[in-house]
Amino acid sequence: MTDAALFQSIIASLPEIVVVTGACILLILGQFVRKGQEHFLVAASVAVVLIAAFATLLLASEVRPAYSGMFIADRFAVFFKLVFYLATILTFLLSRKYADIEGIGSSEYYVLLLFALFGMMIMASATDLLSIYVGLELMVLCTYVLTGFLRRERRSNEAALKYVILGAVSTGIFLYGVSLIYGLTGTTQLDAMAQAVTGDPLDPGLLLAVVFIVAGLVFKVGAVPFHMWLPDVYEGAPTTITAFMSVGPKAAGFAVILRVFLNPLVAASDVWIIVAVIAVVTMALGSFVALVQDNFKRLLAYSSIAHAGFAIFGVVAGGQNGIASVMLYLLIYAFMNLGIFGAVIMMRNGDFSGEVINDYAGFAKSHPGLALLMLIYLFSLAGIPPTAGFFAKFYVLVALVERGFVLLAVIAVLLSAVAAYFYIRVVMVIYMREPERAFDPALTPMVRATLAFTALGTIGIGLFPAWFLGLAQQSAAGG
Amino acid sequence: MGFPLLSLILFTPAAGAAVLMFLRSDDAVRWTALVVAVLDLALSIVLLAGFDTTTHEMQFTETVPWVPALGITYALGVDGISALFVFLTALLGSVSVLASWVAIERKVKAFMVSLLSMQALMLGVFSALDLFLFYVCWEAMLIPMYLIIGVWGGDGRVYAAFKFFLYTLAGSLLFLIGVIALYFHGGETFDILALTAQDLPFRVQSWLFFAFLIAFAVKVPMVPVHTWLPDAHVQAPTAGSIILAGVLLKMGAYGFLRFSLPMLPEASVYFSPLMLALSALAIVYGGLLALAQDDLKKLVAYSSISHMGFVTMGIFALNIRGLEGGILQMFNHGVTTGALFLFVGLIYERTHTRSIADYGGLMKVAPVYTVFLALFTLSSMALPGTNSFVGELLVLSGGFAANLAVGAAAVLGATLGAAYLLGMYRRVALGPASVGARFKIRDVNAREMVAILPLAVFVLWVGLYPKPFLEIIDASVKNLLVEVHGEGSGQ
Repeated sequence: MTDAALFQSIIASLPEIVVVTGACILLILGQFVRKGQEHFLVAASVAVVLIAAFATLLLASEVRPAYSGMFIADRFAVFFKLVFYLATILTFLLSRKYADIEGIGSSEYYVLLLFALFGMMIMASATDLLSIYVGLELMVLCTYVLTGFLRRERRSNEAALKYVILGAVSTGIFLYGVSLIYGLTGTTQLDAMAQAVTGDPLDPGLLLAVVFIVAGLVFKVGAVPFHMWLPDVYEGAPTTITAFMSVGPKAAGFAVILRVFLNPLVAASDVWIIVAVIAVVTMALGSFVALVQDNFKRLLAYSSIAHAGFAIFGVVAGGQNGIASVMLYLLIYAFMNLGIFGAVIMMRNGDFSGEVINDYAGFAKSHPGLALLMLIYLFSLAGIPPTAGFFAKFYVLVALVERGFVLLAVIAVLLSAVAAYFYIRVVMVIYMREPERAFDPALTPMVRATLAFTALGTIGIGLFPAWFLGLAQQSAAGG
Repeated sequence: MGFPLLSLILFTPAAGAAVLMFLRSDDAVRWTALVVAVLDLALSIVLLAGFDTTTHEMQFTETVPWVPALGITYALGVDGISALFVFLTALLGSVSVLASWVAIERKVKAFMVSLLSMQALMLGVFSALDLFLFYVCWEAMLIPMYLIIGVWGGDGRVYAAFKFFLYTLAGSLLFLIGVIALYFHGGETFDILALTAQDLPFRVQSWLFFAFLIAFAVKVPMVPVHTWLPDAHVQAPTAGSIILAGVLLKMGAYGFLRFSLPMLPEASVYFSPLMLALSALAIVYGGLLALAQDDLKKLVAYSSISHMGFVTMGIFALNIRGLEGGILQMFNHGVTTGALFLFVGLIYERTHTRSIADYGGLMKVAPVYTVFLALFTLSSMALPGTNSFVGELLVLSGGFAANLAVGAAAVLGATLGAAYLLGMYRRVALGPASVGARFKIRDVNAREMVAILPLAVFVLWVGLYPKPFLEIIDASVKNLLVEVHGEGSGQ
């Protein structure tokens, strides 16, 4: 690599460099932060992400391939990075008070989140199976640790262990697929792979390799049959981390899935049938199992499985609209899911966990404003207009029907009617039960800001989707 | 595009709901809600006054791009059919606020906000000229209605609210797929007028007809998807019942008129025998169910199923008398059944029982109440001189022209209607005054009178001089028939 090419590569990956440098500096500075001054960590972490976001937007004007075809900074990556920044910053804001209550407010917590962000950014930009792997591993290793961050809590430890073991297996499967691809095509670059294969795209060896890669990837988004880890991990992890994982790493998983599926090699094979089946089963399992959950975090875990299923429908649809629909879905999901998790995090105060759905009984009576926000998030998750959640689903359905998959669209809407039941059940508990205790939500200005911002996004994108739709469509085209 | 009157009508209740959120005292909330509702009613009267009855073209149209990438616009407009329902919605909106004045004691603010947002969305449904906008309003209505039933309803309210929500949602979601399919078949537009002008292949029309049918049949409701209605009506607070019976049920029938008939004409003609049969079934079955009820509200709820059967029958008779009768009957049913629910609510506020067996001799303690009850009861059974007589007569003559057996079933249903309604009135109002001894009942007061009188006026006005109402819908109905049967058949 020449000096000029290296320089270009560094420019293209400037946001990543900002994040990783910031994380390293924070790691050192964190040692000097005294107890009671943790707000410095939050402010510094947020600043790092904002600088990275600024750099990303600055470089968004053109497509920049970098590091000899391992990496690319294009619009597609920019869109996903913006989702990651959003998820990370909101997680930081939600974490401050929660971390105090749980006693996990050390600097490592914030640094690990930044490293996870770094991993996700690499995933969004990676154009080589190996760089995908590096980003993926960086991200999941951080989330393994963060899941087990409640060191004194048994279920947090259990969740982390479960996550590590299952995650390692799925990574192994992914790597096996990569090695098969390399054996068959002699390359791991996504673009070169397709050119290397001139024969039948339905070659069994190739199909096997693609299936392995898909299996490794759907694990990360929590799709059936690789969803087993998800409810336990979501329940056991600190709630802020659950919120982060349900949005950031999931979106990163989808970024890679879309990148791989954009690849003509994969598009030519009939692997979409497998993906369609995965979508249906994932959504069905998430929706039906969520019906019987009493724990709010578990309910949201299954809801997140169901939403992953719906987004995979967009992957099945493929094409320009299909890809854009998945991207828009993830952006909207980030707003509404961080909103509802923000509400759960806010409820955790003193001895009150706020994890059981019945804990919210009669919440509307004493806190009508906060209850209204929860109502908005929940109806948005259920996909009822005029919230953004409806438009997200609507656009996926448009993409499906456009490709002629009407039956899949019908299945998707029927399952989302099932899913609506458990969201409105929570609304019922909030609004139609009598309160059993006094509520004392941990409302710091940061939490307030997060809730206001996510609610604004949930309603705003629902009412004025045009700009966001255009953004998603442009980004999908630039991929 | 002139003055955006329709937008103003739509956004007045929405803005009112937003203002309410910042008020503290319950009384201020009530008065503000009333002022907003009455203002909206006044605006809708302005709309009717400026309405040109000689054309079927959309009037007061407004178009603003909304999501250009998908061909979605914010497009509003009314023709003769929708203008009538914009007015009905605004009228019943005001009545509902008055009906909730003392009946709603808890969370008054939240209730009025829900009520006014309901009103904005219902108005949106009737004036939308864009399928996406229509769907958004249609579906968004579930949120406030779910709360109105579930928070302020009776003892079984949670069950009723869930049932209402899930039934309607499941129906509408298939409609959504139909809408998207129509979007791609009709040249990637959600413009209702452009889609109406399309000529779709029969096979596509048939599929879409059933996708639409599920959504509209649930809302109407038609037998056999009517089972949410008794629960929702009985459990909902009075205002909720008025809105449900008066406006929500009309939206299903309106869907047939706005989408199924003009967009899918061949399928509508082809499947009209099925629809007529289902309508006849609803008329008779609903009547029989009503006959067996002891609960006042349930009785009125089941009678709604029967009466909406008349409406769908008139629509799918697919001739001018049937259609005009059906549409007029939609309006009449909104007024009359809205009034009956109001009356049930009024007496329930006083006695806290809805069982007919608990009543008797109400005439002696509350004469004014019983006189008006008589008026609306007679209107509901379509006595000559009341509004429903005109509507039902037209529907029957249209129905007989379409199919003799169906017409005969409808006559049977009308007879059943007389039986259960008169029976109800006799047991409640006449006989020995057993009621006064057990309950302290006062007659209607001035506020209640204000809610009752406009409805009573329309009962007699439409009954004695229906011409202005028929004139409003006439041009649009004739045009609709041309769209269904082709040129030269608008007799």
